[in-house]
Amino acid sequence: MSTYGPPHLQRRTLLKLGIASAVVLAVAGGAVALMQPGLKNGKLTEESRLVFSRAGQTILAGTLPVDAGPNQIAINALLDRIDTFISGTPEHVQAELSQLLGLLGTAAGRRGVIGLASSWHDATVPEMTTAFQGMRESSVSLRIQAYHALHDIVSASYFSGEESWAVLGYPGPRAV
Amino acid sequence: MSLPDPIKEGLARGWKVLGGAHGALPPSITCDVAIIGSGAGAGITAELLTKAGLKVVIIEEGQLKSSTDFKQREPEAYASLYQEAAGRQTKDKGITILQGRSVGGTTTVNWTSSFRTPPDTLKYWQEKFGLKDYTPEALAPYFQQAEERLNIGPWQTSPNENNELLRRGAAKLGIKAEVIPRNVKGCYNLGSCGMGCPVNAKQSMLVTTIPFALDGGATLLVETRAEKFEISNGRVQGLSCIAVKPNAAPVNTALPATQIIAKHYVLAGGSINSPALLLRSGAPDPHKQLGTRTFLHPVAITTAIMAKTVSAWDGAPQSIYSDHYLNTQPIDGPMGFKLEVAPLHPVFFGANLPGFGQKQAELFRQYPNANVMLALMRDGFHDQAVGGKVELRGNGSPLLDYPLTDYVLEGARRGMLAMAEIQFEAGAKTVYPGHEMGTGTSTWADTKKAIEALPMKPLLTKIGSAHVMGGCGLAGDAQRGVTRTDGVHWQLENLSIHDGSLFPTSIGANPQLSIYGSVNRLAQGLAKRLTGKEVTLA
Repeated sequence: MSTYGPPHLQRRTLLKLGIASAVVLAVAGGAVALMQPGLKNGKLTEESRLVFSRAGQTILAGTLPVDAGPNQIAINALLDRIDTFISGTPEHVQAELSQLLGLLGTAAGRRGVIGLASSWHDATVPEMTTAFQGMRESSVSLRIQAYHALHDIVSASYFSGEESWAVLGYPGPRAV
Repeated sequence: MSLPDPIKEGLARGWKVLGGAHGALPPSITCDVAIIGSGAGAGITAELLTKAGLKVVIIEEGQLKSSTDFKQREPEAYASLYQEAAGRQTKDKGITILQGRSVGGTTTVNWTSSFRTPPDTLKYWQEKFGLKDYTPEALAPYFQQAEERLNIGPWQTSPNENNELLRRGAAKLGIKAEVIPRNVKGCYNLGSCGMGCPVNAKQSMLVTTIPFALDGGATLLVETRAEKFEISNGRVQGLSCIAVKPNAAPVNTALPATQIIAKHYVLAGGSINSPALLLRSGAPDPHKQLGTRTFLHPVAITTAIMAKTVSAWDGAPQSIYSDHYLNTQPIDGPMGFKLEVAPLHPVFFGANLPGFGQKQAELFRQYPNANVMLALMRDGFHDQAVGGKVELRGNGSPLLDYPLTDYVLEGARRGMLAMAEIQFEAGAKTVYPGHEMGTGTSTWADTKKAIEALPMKPLLTKIGSAHVMGGCGLAGDAQRGVTRTDGVHWQLENLSIHDGSLFPTSIGANPQLSIYGSVNRLAQGLAKRLTGKEVTLA
């Protein structure tokens, strides 16, 4: 419901970010029409968990444990903390994130925004690293905004966990 | 031994606090003065008006948290003590804004740096905005009272290495760096100011003026958003408030709003939020000034890995600064900037380091040796630095449109150059500019060349902000601002604005003491007009 502005101007705030973004959406084709929300009841959907789990493995490569078992435990903890983080954000942030994740969950959105040809499931970390580097330095606002969203949420959520302190050499707060 | 918690003690004494777990909001409240917000401007106003014998209601959107809740943990602090869970961003997402949102406002989470408004800034206000009585001399007694009330003075303890290296590097270059005055009493030097002071040493509004007002009979509504003023005949007739959840969503849209009827209203929700309430209310704005000229001190950063351990999480977060790059050029010339350092805790460090993957992993492991320097750019003094404009989203929440101009971004480049040179002089092994295309370089010559070659574009250049100012600017006439020099809205006679949104430019220094000093004078004037009584702080 829109109280303070014309509804047609208030929808899809993430998706009306200028001409360059419109180009990405054109590349993404009909994805917008097909996409499902990336959050359900304020939590990551299964598809969104996959996006963040692969983004986490890329962004935190070299930081997360290498062995498959401990790596999966770390990723699961990361995803849970991302859910906690999202629950503390305002409605408009959740709405935007839901749209972004919905878009990234479609094949066309993944290709157009991330620059990733392989599926989220099949992409290798080197493939994703190349794609993320492309997003990071992109001149297209939506791509670099998507990179920042994934990077900042993954980093902030990972370092919210006390198990990350050992990686940094942070002794924890002083007792009072 | 457990430390005292003045908030829990006050609640046990019977403070009138409603909202959230403290009790349901009543359908209506009548009072002398309704104060919207509980931060720097609201706190000072609440103390003075209570002292004058007025019946005051304070309305705060955030939660009431206190020292026993402050566990020095970033995730809990960011979620409960900051606007938009510390993720408030400008419209194009080019700037992330740290702004407080709990009882005490930003004073609960700031890093305690306390500067009087610089004389150059006041001179500009006199000349450009007709603020004739905004001189250092006229404001001095009001600053002095605030300094006494909040125990503000230069930090006497040795700076931590994070700050000391700014002084050391600057000295080698012949650049003056000085000690920062702080509002602390019995500081444990923990370094956790940004997560709420666990030992009540920081003299924030949370532990000073708000308790004073509550002890004096004021009512505090928490988790309560001032939604809309009812306006007619050049006056505010009432204020609708709704209960909100910790993430600012309405508790129940079906519930009727609480109506607050006051003789006078004081808007002190901080920049961005204060103009937004006036926009939601359809307040008169004949000269299209409302929400414009909202300033951020956009901050450029460089990260250095020092040869020696820094432990930037430990000790008073900010104790050394340099105004060299503010004072050595004209105020309306190339953008000036203040130099300070940032305390580094894991989440802040992880989210602010540019890059990802293996390269970033190597940097994470050098965290104990990391220093992040800040160049706070002075916006509002040039026609290419007119700040941002507050807009409303469809649900009425505020959104700041702050386009980063080439002028500002060139200021960021000069700031990064200045900081990198100081960091190398202080013993940096490698310096990383805050830019997505920045890579670490290990000599000043290489770093200089690299920073000079960076494309300075929004989103590529990492820009943050912890200071929000303007949007309801003071002016000597109605054409140039929203607020009269006595703090009253130009078109609404029973509405005063008492927060950082008053400032017609950025301050050029951390703004808390500028708010305390200016509002101290405005609130004393308001108390006199409403009651005939002379009251002072302290």
